[in-house]
Order: sequence, then C-alpha cells, then structure tokens
Amino acid sequence: DGSLKFLVGYKERSMAAASRDRRRRGRAPGAASAAAAVEDDGEEHHLNPFLSDAAPTSSRVQFRNVASRARWVEEAGAAEVLDSKGKLWLTTGVTRGGKLYYNVEEIGFLAERGALIFLDDEGGTIGMEEIYGKIAGGKYGCSWDAFQAYKHLKLLGYIIGRYAVPWTMKNNPTCETTDSLERMPDTDQSFNRADGVHNGITKLLKEMHIDGLHPSFEVYLPNSKFRKSSPGAPCFLLSMLRDKPPSRDELETIESKCDGIPLKFCQVDNGRVSFLSFDKVRLPSLP
Amino acid sequence: AESSLLLPRAGGRRNARGENNAGAWTPRAPPPTRPVLRSSPIGGSFLALARLRCRCRFLSAPPQLMDMSGPRWKKGKDGKDFAALAAAQPMSSNVTKLQSSLKGSKLVATLCSGGGDAVLGVNPQQAALLNRAAFGRALENAGAEKQWFQLGAEEVFYLHHALECIVVESASKDLMSQGELWDHLCSASESFPEMYKAYSHLRSKNWVVRSGLQYGTDFVAYRHHPALVHSEFAVVVVPEGSGFGGRCSRLKVWSDLLCALRASGSVAKTLLVLTISSNVCELGSPDCLEQLVVHERTVTRWIAQQCREQRCKPCREEAYKEEEDHTGETVVSNYWGVILGLTVLSSLLVYKLRFRR
Repeated sequence: DGSLKFLVGYKERSMAAASRDRRRRGRAPGAASAAAAVEDDGEEHHLNPFLSDAAPTSSRVQFRNVASRARWVEEAGAAEVLDSKGKLWLTTGVTRGGKLYYNVEEIGFLAERGALIFLDDEGGTIGMEEIYGKIAGGKYGCSWDAFQAYKHLKLLGYIIGRYAVPWTMKNNPTCETTDSLERMPDTDQSFNRADGVHNGITKLLKEMHIDGLHPSFEVYLPNSKFRKSSPGAPCFLLSMLRDKPPSRDELETIESKCDGIPLKFCQVDNGRVSFLSFDKVRLPSLP
Repeated sequence: AESSLLLPRAGGRRNARGENNAGAWTPRAPPPTRPVLRSSPIGGSFLALARLRCRCRFLSAPPQLMDMSGPRWKKGKDGKDFAALAAAQPMSSNVTKLQSSLKGSKLVATLCSGGGDAVLGVNPQQAALLNRAAFGRALENAGAEKQWFQLGAEEVFYLHHALECIVVESASKDLMSQGELWDHLCSASESFPEMYKAYSHLRSKNWVVRSGLQYGTDFVAYRHHPALVHSEFAVVVVPEGSGFGGRCSRLKVWSDLLCALRASGSVAKTLLVLTISSNVCELGSPDCLEQLVVHERTVTRWIAQQCREQRCKPCREEAYKEEEDHTGETVVSNYWGVILGLTVLSSLLVYKLRFRR
C-alpha cells in the first residue's frame, strides 16, 4: 500500500504540474506579452535556494514503513532480500530458487526512497555512497544513465525488468536464454552455485561489449495485477543511447533483438531523461 | 476588382504605399486564397471596413514587440520579481562562497563509467552553496545524512580545474589528476574541449550555464539562478580551426542555422553562437584552453513589417512566427480593427434586415 500511495502522490503532483502548464499556454495568443508567449518549453521548475536557509532536498516520497532488508551478494551482483514488506516486491526484483533478489538499479531506487535497508556480509549497513558507487562503476549490468531511466519510469508506475532476465525461474527448469543472475548448464537449476552465477554476469557483460547496442530494459504498463510468473509480453523494450545519435546500422542491430516488441530509446542529458522512437516506416506511394 | 484588395497576394496589385492588403506588404508567396466577397453589400462594407481598419492601424496600439532589452525575472509569491534578490546576491559572491567552503573539505566526486557525469556527496551547508551557485542537480534522497548531486562533465571539470574545490576519482576509485580527468572527459565526448571552453568562458563572466539539449542547443545561459530568472540565451558552440580535426560542427547549412534560430525563439531566447577558434593542433591537455579564443555573436531576425514605427527593436522569432501564421489572416491581425469591424458589420446587418422588411 505504501507503493500505491506513493504512486498516487506522484501522479497527482505531475498532473498538477501539467495542468499548470496547460493553463499558462492557454492564454490569449494575441497577447504577445512576455508572460504568455514565452513560457519555456519544458523548463524545469527550480526550487529557490535563496529563500529558506535549509532547503530540504530530501524526497517527499518516503516509505520507511515498508522498508525491506536485503544483503549484498557479490557473486550474484545483486542483493538477496531477507524480509520484504509492502507490495513493492510484486513488481521489483527477480526470484531464483525461492529467493528474491534486487539488482543495483532496484537497490538504488528503493534506497533513495528509504524503502531498503541494505546490508553487507557482516550485517552492517551499506550507505548511499556505496550504492551510487556500484551503479556509477557500471560493473553490475546497469550504467548511471540506465539508472536514471529506470528511476524515471519506475516513479511513473511502469514495471521494469532487465532485458532477457526472466522474473522467475520456477516454471523454466531448463532455460536457454542467458541472464545476469544465472547461467544454466543443462539441467542444473541451483542458483546457489557461485560459479554459475558469476559466469552469468560476466557473460552478459561481455555480450554487452561485443554487440554495443542492445535493449536494456523490458517495460510493462502499470498493472496492479502484474504477476512475475506470467508477465506477458512487455509493452516495449528500452535501449539506452549514448553520446551520439544512433546510426542506421546500430538501429538495425538492436531491432533484430526485439522479436517484434516495440522499441524505444532513452537519451539522458545531465539527469534529464527523454524517450525517442526511430521507427522504420514505409511511406505509402500516393495515387 | 475592388475586392481583390481583400486577398493577400504577393506581387500583384499594390496600392501607392506598396500594400497589397489592408496594411500589410509581403514579398512572400500567396497563402491559400479565401472565399471572396464580391460585389455584395456586405462585401462592399467589408471593404469599407478594411479601409477603415487600415487607417485605424496607425491609431491603435502597435503590434507588440518582444522586449529584448532585459532579463525576464521570475516572480515570487508576493508578486514582485526577483531582480532585487538577485542584485543582493550576485552570482560572483555565491561562487566565491562555494569555493572557499569546499576548498578545505577535500570533497571527492566519483565519475560514472561510460560517461562524463559524476556524483558528489555533500553536507547540507555545502548543498545549499552548490544550489545557490547553480552547480549540479540534486538527487532525491530520503533523509540520508549526505545530500547527493549529479554533476555534468563541464561542471566537474570547472569545479576541479577552475575553482579547485573538488577532487575527482574514477569509477574504480582511483584519484585522477587534472590531465587524466581531461583525457577521460575528452574520450567520453569528442566535443568536450570546445564545450568546456564555452562553459568556462560564460561561467567566468558569472553567467549560469546549464545544458541546452532540451532546446536543441548546447547550453542555455541565465543571468542569475534559474529559479529567479528565465534564461536569455540559447548557446550553440561552433569549433573552428585545424585543431578540432574533422568534427561535424553545427550551423554549416541553412536548415541547421534557421532551425536553431526558430527553436530558440520559440522559447524566447536569443541565439548566441560561441565560435571557439584554435590555431594550435594540440587539444590533449587542459593547457590548450588558454590558446582557445571565444568569439561571441548573436543571430537575430529582423522583421521588416513590424519595425516601421519609431521603436525599431529587433524582434524575437516569436513575432516572426506570429507574422507567418497570420499572413492569411491579416484582415484580423489587428485587435482594434476586429472590434471596430464587428461593430460596424453588426450595425450594417441590423440595418439591412430592417431594410429588407
């Protein structure tokens, strides 16, 4: 319920902001005054740091009441959830061998919102600094930009999983796809084998290097009835863009991995997230 | 023949003043034609209206020009704009305070692998200083002891190199020297040298510089903190000289230049082109920065139609856009003309109806 409350709160705020924008744009176009005609397109709303001495930047969105505890497992590159409260876990984390695991972007997202107590092997708390360090380091399958994209969509209520990582392995004893948490040698389904887990991550990371571009996330529409055991097809796949717009070649490479699922691209500029489509079309010949 | 004056036309018939339509002279291609009210009494009166409006044009309020002479300050809750607040807290003092506060604390920013961004953790006092000096973007955090900021590549280097108030470590936690940081940022983005030169040029003049990507430009420049004022300039950086290699640079074709001009005008900013010229071939170290020269130019559009009155200020793209949209509707482009015209027309209609009976 904490998760639902927080989603509603966020929606309300963004809707309020959107209606404010609409009202401003709706002013008489004839009045070419500075106020109406020049409302900056998508300009951020900046907090005024000169007014109050201690401008709180901590989030209004907090849910300590439903904080889970998770322990970092280096071999898996993920955190094993020790106890989870609330309903966040229904749409976050993957299940392996009966246990729930959060990957780094999920850890970062939850920790920023006060919904995760993150522990190391000895049971000591791991702070934000190390969490950001793990994401910024890029060694656990998620870049800083990808984390921004994940956060942005997650805050809007979308359900996001890593590309080609099944939510749960219960129904698939032999899995042929590679994923970051497990590499299945034939019939072995044990998750606890550190080797298998570690190889899985390495293999995925290596693949990332070879191909260059590939989808990063599978995104599902907000859905209170979402079930990890049968998530259905994602609404779209999301691929992260880098410092230059993609070439036609790169576009075709990654499209070939999409299996017909719609593809969107995400460009992050100083933390500001934009989504683009580069759809192949065929303009009709006109009579 | 008379009613042809109602149709805006390029070339074609013009009266003595060079106007082909009531008040407007345009050399552009004719817009889609409108149904002509020929030789009906209403049409005739419409013509009278047009002539009347033509005379009225110079009596009524002139078309509103964009005021380009000053910054657009935002307004506080009391309805007063922030100009006074900004004057009391000049950006130079905010930056100096930030610099002196951070210098002693040996803050370490962590670079993000694969890009030029960095993450920086600060205490609440330092966070307030960073915010006031308009560096970085605060990350949302649920009451952790530290406040976290995301810094862009130019900001990282400026805080490190120009203000000397942070140190930077790589994603793998190795402290980086200035040269190593320069190399890293240049490899993350090919255009970093010229972007940084432009950034530091504006910052050293105490302008606040932010990414302008959402507006299709490289930067936007604010006269003070973005919370207090709208940005005045949309900045495009153009490298020039052999030192920059064969980089694709902007504004080399008309479609690009006019696109940038249109985009910046539609958000009420002046297009500022910073040409960074280099006659040295070596961009491999921050020492090259001293050799780079920054040339400042603005690109603005002058609307011939709108500047015939006494005040002949250059107009923002906004005005040009309106002009274009209204080409086919010049009959109704004037507020007073419309009101007067409607009054005249309705009274004529009433008269006609009474006459018919």
